[in-house]
Amino acid sequence: MANLAAVVGVGQTKYTTKRQDVSIAGLVREAAVNALQDADLGWDDIDAVILGKAPDMFEGVIMPEVYLTDALGCNGKPMIRVHTAGSVGGSTAIVAASHVQSGTFRRVLTVSFEKQSESNAMWALSNPQPFSTHLNAGAGGYFAPIIREYIRRSNAPKDVGIKVAVKDRLHGARNPLAHLQKPDITMQEVEESFMLWDPIRFLEACPSSDGACAMVIANEELADKAAKQPAWIRGVAMRSEPTTFAGRDEVNPQAGRDCAADVYKQAGITDPRKDLDCAEVYVPFSWYEPMWLENLGFAPIGEGWKLTMEGATSLDEGGDIPWNCSGGVLSSNAIGASGMIRFAEAARQVRGDAGDHQVEGAKLALGHAYGGGAQFFAMWVVGSEKP
Amino acid sequence: MSQPDVLNQAFELGFTYTRSTGPVIGRFFTELRNRNIVGIKASDGRVVVPPMEYDPDTAEELSEFVEVGQQGEIVSFAWVKEPREAHPMDVPFAWAMIKLDGADVPMVHCIAAANESAVATGARVQVVWADETIGYITDIRCFELL
Repeated sequence: MANLAAVVGVGQTKYTTKRQDVSIAGLVREAAVNALQDADLGWDDIDAVILGKAPDMFEGVIMPEVYLTDALGCNGKPMIRVHTAGSVGGSTAIVAASHVQSGTFRRVLTVSFEKQSESNAMWALSNPQPFSTHLNAGAGGYFAPIIREYIRRSNAPKDVGIKVAVKDRLHGARNPLAHLQKPDITMQEVEESFMLWDPIRFLEACPSSDGACAMVIANEELADKAAKQPAWIRGVAMRSEPTTFAGRDEVNPQAGRDCAADVYKQAGITDPRKDLDCAEVYVPFSWYEPMWLENLGFAPIGEGWKLTMEGATSLDEGGDIPWNCSGGVLSSNAIGASGMIRFAEAARQVRGDAGDHQVEGAKLALGHAYGGGAQFFAMWVVGSEKP
Repeated sequence: MSQPDVLNQAFELGFTYTRSTGPVIGRFFTELRNRNIVGIKASDGRVVVPPMEYDPDTAEELSEFVEVGQQGEIVSFAWVKEPREAHPMDVPFAWAMIKLDGADVPMVHCIAAANESAVATGARVQVVWADETIGYITDIRCFELL
């Protein structure tokens, strides 16, 4: 049995298209300082730093963790880099938690970031290769056929994705840190936005953001003395599978199902829709909400879209299981940070510290991240009560 | 036995990147454009050139800029006999760590010299500015021996 660990500080930057006023170091620093302030701690209180970001090729800074030690107060301390594509923010939080749960460190700082304005994610995700037609399709081009297969299997009505796009932006309008601020968005506006990769319209896709997210994770003894309500880590799980193999179900990946089953077991969850109060789930393209509702066991296979259409996942419609109250990846996407933002926002909910997007009385929340070709999964469950 | 035909194709992978330099490195580059070299004062009083954003000991933000001299001393060097295309000079030159007057740590740059024996640890050098300065490290074309 691992030792207990808890989130005792959360810090983020305001997500935006371009942070030209700061270097990459300045950006990660801002989130780290905010997390330390939230925890009422200083650099000397941190034993190690665990850093995550998407592939180095994005910004073209190789092994940025080396250059970022000064900015993160990590000189003379262990610096650990985590790398699992788009799920990296979640995996990084789990690696950080594991180092505390194992007793290796008493209190760590974990940080993840992306500065998309300095980056070239589209190119880095779809390199031209010899003897192949260069599609330059990016992530949307990869996921669109998988979404079409979901629609074919489930017979979901065509406006499910549009509904998610509106719902998450209305959530984002409650969160001052969210990149997109669209309090007046309508179904019609989304439907009329241009088609990027059928069936994904422009407003059904995530933005490109600059931003960083950080958390301080402490052991039980230190968390008991924390300045604010800790978010107790009730379960952590990661699973991976290859991009392609015979019989792979890309719509409902095995790795995602196994990862969810593992984390639910640790947290004592038997019915996620009933047992959890809210979830922050990696939904970069609108249709991934109904798909993950099924993959994560919130709805039977083929019926995830019904929860979305009933408003079950909407804060504004008083849904019983709000998803992505912060606005989610659809409102802010600093790629390397996006997974950690999900984990941190889950922690904010159970700490009762989520401002205008707080789910009243939230006690148990899921943070979820996925990456690669929907093949890397990272999840944690955090709770307001010590297990 | 004849060599089989190997299928091959020219392949070049290129990316375009942007950099936001921030308030400290940005100031250093702006000063280069004005033909000045600035360092920054660290918590222990050392002047660090090029300036760094955060103190290496305390991790606090640094902000006290210090203009340093355009002459200095060679701390260490390596002679490049056969310059490659990417090198800053097309004739033999030295990479060197140069401690500028008023600085406490050396900075890496290149030195133009007639031959290797002309360069020595402890020798004095001075900056040679590019004809046009634009806010790049190459605004310092090289250093030359005094």
